[in-house]
Amino acid sequence: MSILAGSSSVEPRYLSRERESFFEAQSRNRRATWRLGALCVVAVAVMGIPLALLVTPLVYAVVLIIADIVNLFWTLPQAFWRQAAEVAHLGFVTLGALLDHKPAPPQALVLGAVVLLAPGTILSLLVWLGMSALFRRAGVGGALLALSAREPNPAELKELQLADVVQEMAIAAGLPAPRVMLIDVPGANLAAIGSSLTDARIVVSRRLLDDLSREELEGAVAHSIASIGNGDLRVAFRIMAVFETYGVLLAMLNSPFGPQSRGTLWRILRSRLAGSDAGQEAAAVAAILTRSGDFEADDIDQLFVTTTKKSTLRSIRNFIFFPIFFTNAAIRLSLWFFSSCMLGPSVALLWRTRKYLADACAVQLTRDPDGLARALRKLDNDPGAIPGSGWASYLFLVSPRSTSSRATNPRQAEILARAWLASQQHTEGTVSTDSSAAPANTLGELVVTFRAASTGDAQATARIRALRQALTALDPTLAAQMPDPADFAAIRKGDAAAMARLRAFGRQAASPGMGSAKPPQSSAEDPSGVWSVSLLGFYPSLERRLKRLQRMGAHLNSPAEQSGAWMVAAVIWLICAPFFLLAGALLLVLIAVMTLASLAFLVVWLAFVHKIFGLAAHH
Amino acid sequence: MQISPGLIGLAALAVLLIWVATSFNQLVAQRARVRNAWAEIDVQLTRRHDLIPNLVESVRGYMQHERSTLNSVTQARAQAMAVGGNVQQRAVAESALTQAVGKLLAIAENYPQLRAIEDVQQLQEQLVSTENRIAYARQFYNDEVMKYNTVQATFPRNLFAALLGFSPSAMFAVADAERANVQVKL
Repeated sequence: MSILAGSSSVEPRYLSRERESFFEAQSRNRRATWRLGALCVVAVAVMGIPLALLVTPLVYAVVLIIADIVNLFWTLPQAFWRQAAEVAHLGFVTLGALLDHKPAPPQALVLGAVVLLAPGTILSLLVWLGMSALFRRAGVGGALLALSAREPNPAELKELQLADVVQEMAIAAGLPAPRVMLIDVPGANLAAIGSSLTDARIVVSRRLLDDLSREELEGAVAHSIASIGNGDLRVAFRIMAVFETYGVLLAMLNSPFGPQSRGTLWRILRSRLAGSDAGQEAAAVAAILTRSGDFEADDIDQLFVTTTKKSTLRSIRNFIFFPIFFTNAAIRLSLWFFSSCMLGPSVALLWRTRKYLADACAVQLTRDPDGLARALRKLDNDPGAIPGSGWASYLFLVSPRSTSSRATNPRQAEILARAWLASQQHTEGTVSTDSSAAPANTLGELVVTFRAASTGDAQATARIRALRQALTALDPTLAAQMPDPADFAAIRKGDAAAMARLRAFGRQAASPGMGSAKPPQSSAEDPSGVWSVSLLGFYPSLERRLKRLQRMGAHLNSPAEQSGAWMVAAVIWLICAPFFLLAGALLLVLIAVMTLASLAFLVVWLAFVHKIFGLAAHH
Repeated sequence: MQISPGLIGLAALAVLLIWVATSFNQLVAQRARVRNAWAEIDVQLTRRHDLIPNLVESVRGYMQHERSTLNSVTQARAQAMAVGGNVQQRAVAESALTQAVGKLLAIAENYPQLRAIEDVQQLQEQLVSTENRIAYARQFYNDEVMKYNTVQATFPRNLFAALLGFSPSAMFAVADAERANVQVKL
């Protein structure tokens, strides 16, 4: 693996008048984060409108049904029903004005809008506040703790250095020093997790310690501490709460239908009552909640799939609650659409700016832009994913997935292919004649063998052991990236850490770093679906970060700007823009239609139910 | 309701008073941070005093032929601890200690066989980290002083900051004593 020496070519590409002090860089970025934060709030507000429109009728339905039930026992005063009728009338007037362009006095319109939006908005806000309060203690990124993090060992020099560097940077920033945890994963990265300044932790992968020198480590840790000090954890947490709100609302919608969502709701309650383990459990619950943004089957969908015997009770229940199907589909569609078009890109831009801000603050802390620049370079050259990083993926130092197209490493692929052949010879005694040691074939066979080994195939496990031995002889670092054969036995016993490691290896095997012929992995394999559905990446590219560090004084020869590629991309975007706009408009129309359809279904259903209760009350 | 000029004047005065109060609180908070940063430097200096005896003892066995350097470190430490509250004298004594520690580190660099020993590596790391912490504590103090002085000196506040009892703080500059010390020993 090539590791560029930072001071080899000292040719500052910027003249002194183009230099920028880190203080200026900080103010510039802070202003930008304020603007982008406001943009995110606007995006959330816009997203909230269809949600409110969909949830409000359900609120009214619940209120009405409760009123009807109460009416069976104690007759409610006529004033109540009159008021309810008035409220309904206002709503219909507004809808009529919107759809049929029937003229209506503006005051009635405003009141009608309030009637249509307020209950849904209030409910969503309450749920959001509730989610914030529930998970405040756990904060962000608890999923990383599932990977058996450990404290640094002061007897080992590198780990002692890490502990010292964290303390030094905390002193330089005037913050309480966060706790440090080490994880042993193939990837090299470092992340900040937690919920607030006092509760923050820094998680470092052991590989990063091995790769970076002390100055570079200072830069990397300074970036993390600056990120914590700027309040990134709280911002991340609030954004996560928005998606969790959707998740909880969807779970509540689905709860009459299936055990999955009921189980989720129960886990939320339980995680609040849990004690010190809140971090991991909260992260798991958060992951489930936010996965609802993906088009995965939830309970309602299961209804249409399963062909098990339908008890009449279930059929009755399904019939009673069927309007919720539409609402469910509409909410998920609107969530997907708005989060990928509006909220996703806004949040991505916000996070990029915060990353630049953290870089500038890191330079202020270390007064040494070279350290951070070299660290970023080294980490970018080192492809390696960190397992389970979905939720915390925006608090890492560099993107935990290899995004650089320079990461294809033919030498690694060749070594892997040779070791694979050697292992075949070792286990089967012969070398197959059609052994075209093409890396792509190797990888395919590798994946098949891994799957077999994870289900207990002894021969596959033996082959993997032989592969590891062969690799160790050729290239120890590559061998360390291969999964441990012991892990395969461990996952059958349910060891979560081993599963996470194997999953990470599976993802890594598909990335260009292993020399496969597939194009760079799109971010759509993110386990926490919502983040992936964004048209922009959350991390700024290495070139841009290095350029800004250069303006602050780093001495690096950054690669030549590919201005040509930029223009080609712009032209492609311009060509595709009308199609995107058309698709977007169609989706918006679809969402509106579904909203209205769900409203119509619900109104009809409600009238029916109300009539039944009315008849029952009169007897 | 008629809005008389008197009412407007009263409202403006209220806003002004609120703003002055907010600025006062900001200045107080910043001054507290400056004092805290100054105290942090002391904390790190004291930590160095506490750490050095153990560190020196742990490597005395390996560095028999460099006894004089080790002894000078111990002596400088004793002197730094003995100095009273005079800030100037303390700064001089602490910088002398920094120099002695620097010499010890330089020696460890010059002897490759020493560098391979784990205890010596740990010693190096501890000393380097201690010196770094002191340096970063001073850097943080200077940054806070800069913010404090800037807030006092910028336009609206400079009119009344002095009236309210705030004065600019002095940054921690490299003491002339340190520069002088460099000439003495060679």
